[in-house]
Amino acid sequence: MTFSRYLENRWDDLLEQATQHVLVVILSVVIATLAGVVIGALTWRSDRYSGLAIGTSATLLTIPSLALLALLIPLLGLGWAPTIVALVVYSLLPIVRNTVAGLRSVDASILEAAKGMGLRPARVLWRVQLPMAWPVIITGVRVATQMLFAIATIAAYVAGPGLGNEIFSGLARQGSANALNQAVAGTAGVVILALLFDLLFVLIRRYTTPRGIRV
Amino acid sequence: MSEHGVRIQLDRVTKQYPRQPEPAVDNVSLDIPAGELVVFVGPSGCGKTTTMKMINRLIEPTSGEITIGGENVLALEPNELRTRIGYVIQQIGLFPHMTVRDNIAVVPRLLGWDKARITRRVDELLELVGLDPSAFRDRLPKQLSGGQQQRVGVARALAADPPVMLMDEPFGATDPITRDKLQNEFLRLQKELRKTIIFVTHDFDEAVKLGDRIAVLAEQSHVAQYDTPGRILAAPANDYVEGFVGSAAAIKQLGLMHVGMLTGLAELSATSGLPTVRSRENARDALDIMLRAGTSHVVVLDEQGDPRGVIGFEDIAGLLREEVSRVGQDA
Ligand SMILES: Nc1ncnc2c1ncn2[C@@H]1O[C@H](COP(=O)(O)OP(=O)(O)O)[C@@H](O)[C@H]1O
Ligand SMILES: [Mg+2]
Repeated sequence: MTFSRYLENRWDDLLEQATQHVLVVILSVVIATLAGVVIGALTWRSDRYSGLAIGTSATLLTIPSLALLALLIPLLGLGWAPTIVALVVYSLLPIVRNTVAGLRSVDASILEAAKGMGLRPARVLWRVQLPMAWPVIITGVRVATQMLFAIATIAAYVAGPGLGNEIFSGLARQGSANALNQAVAGTAGVVILALLFDLLFVLIRRYTTPRGIRV
Repeated sequence: MSEHGVRIQLDRVTKQYPRQPEPAVDNVSLDIPAGELVVFVGPSGCGKTTTMKMINRLIEPTSGEITIGGENVLALEPNELRTRIGYVIQQIGLFPHMTVRDNIAVVPRLLGWDKARITRRVDELLELVGLDPSAFRDRLPKQLSGGQQQRVGVARALAADPPVMLMDEPFGATDPITRDKLQNEFLRLQKELRKTIIFVTHDFDEAVKLGDRIAVLAEQSHVAQYDTPGRILAAPANDYVEGFVGSAAAIKQLGLMHVGMLTGLAELSATSGLPTVRSRENARDALDIMLRAGTSHVVVLDEQGDPRGVIGFEDIAGLLREEVSRVGQDA
């Protein structure tokens, strides 16, 4: 079967897998962003704690993904749950690191002016530091999203969602009819989605960055 | 209507930073009358900023007492205290992601003012600091010149009409022409508002120009002299103050005297060719005009621009002599 015939035949399945792939990535990135920004906001003031947070998330990133999933199965079973936990763990590093860097980049005189006006630390964080750090934070989120599109293929190993199923079933049936088509379709799907989201982030960054600090 | 200033008292205030051999501020007492502009002047590192920041508790005193309008600042909640004290720093610290309006509105919003009141207040303040509200309200800090940013900084500090303003070298980073302009406008503004203002500078000429009183500070914020600019110029308390006053003390004093103070102006005769000076200008300006024109006399014009009389070198010298003897009697 030609590749185009293959696509035509399997289009509905591919679309379904691509949708799930996108969903699992978005869900994971949203959770990781909330967690990462909170971790960054709690630790940025102290070299020690922020160093610990960044070091830990860097270490987590070095755990081989199959090993991490294998560890998660006894706790969470198969499917979406272990996939999302693994993806959140992998996306923490760029988000935490950029949150810390962004919060620290706010000029000391701006913080002094804010404090001098009687703003409490939580309000300074929310009204001044986070908006000013936002372009840096969103860049971290963008990097995390790119990584996750690739890493999310591994979810197929725990019967999770996404285009990984397409790729791995193709690889598993090497030599048989359509094996190559399957692997190529899955891989191309991941790459296309990643590129589309990269473009989307350019827009998100542009429209969520306050006008006064847009470059 | 705006709230006038209240008295500030520092009573034996000391600040010892951790791991420093000596206190940065040592046992300072100062009484700052309500509605006056008091300048702290002293060399870099003498403790001016530390002394000032203890008043709004950005720095906690090690010992001593500070009262504002009779209230002990250490007994107040720090953030609540700070909403009642305007604070302006040299770097200004405008929030770059907010418009001019939103920058000015920060403290009023914190205090829960309604939208209409905030809008009125923002426009009123922009007018007050000499910026056209319709042109500047929606601008971003990056769309302002340094001088305009500093005006917005002052407007923001005045937003909730605090009785007290603390200003740490606010005009220190501006060019001489802008600084002169900001100083003049600031004096006009203070004449209207009558806040109690503590103004820090290391520039003695700025202190003379702005201060109702000047506290000349030495190491560890020790008060070398605390008096009016005129008396500090005429009678420096010690060598340290004299060194700070610098050369040309007499000329600087002339800067404090209006030509209009001269009584018994000579009759106008043969004034053609003489330069002119307005009566609200100071004796230093008059002298400068004479020196530049190469004449020994200058015609004084009244507010309408009509000639009122003539003064010469001797009149100015006499004015200075009188001032010195008057200060001598007061002391
Ligand atoms: N946070 C700090 N920790 C330790 N020493 C400080 C601190 N802030 C200021 N100092 C020291 O206290 C002295 C007074 O500083 P400062 O009040 O900033 O002086 P000024 O404003 O007159 O230049 C200086 O010797 C300075 O080095
Ligand atoms: Mg200072």
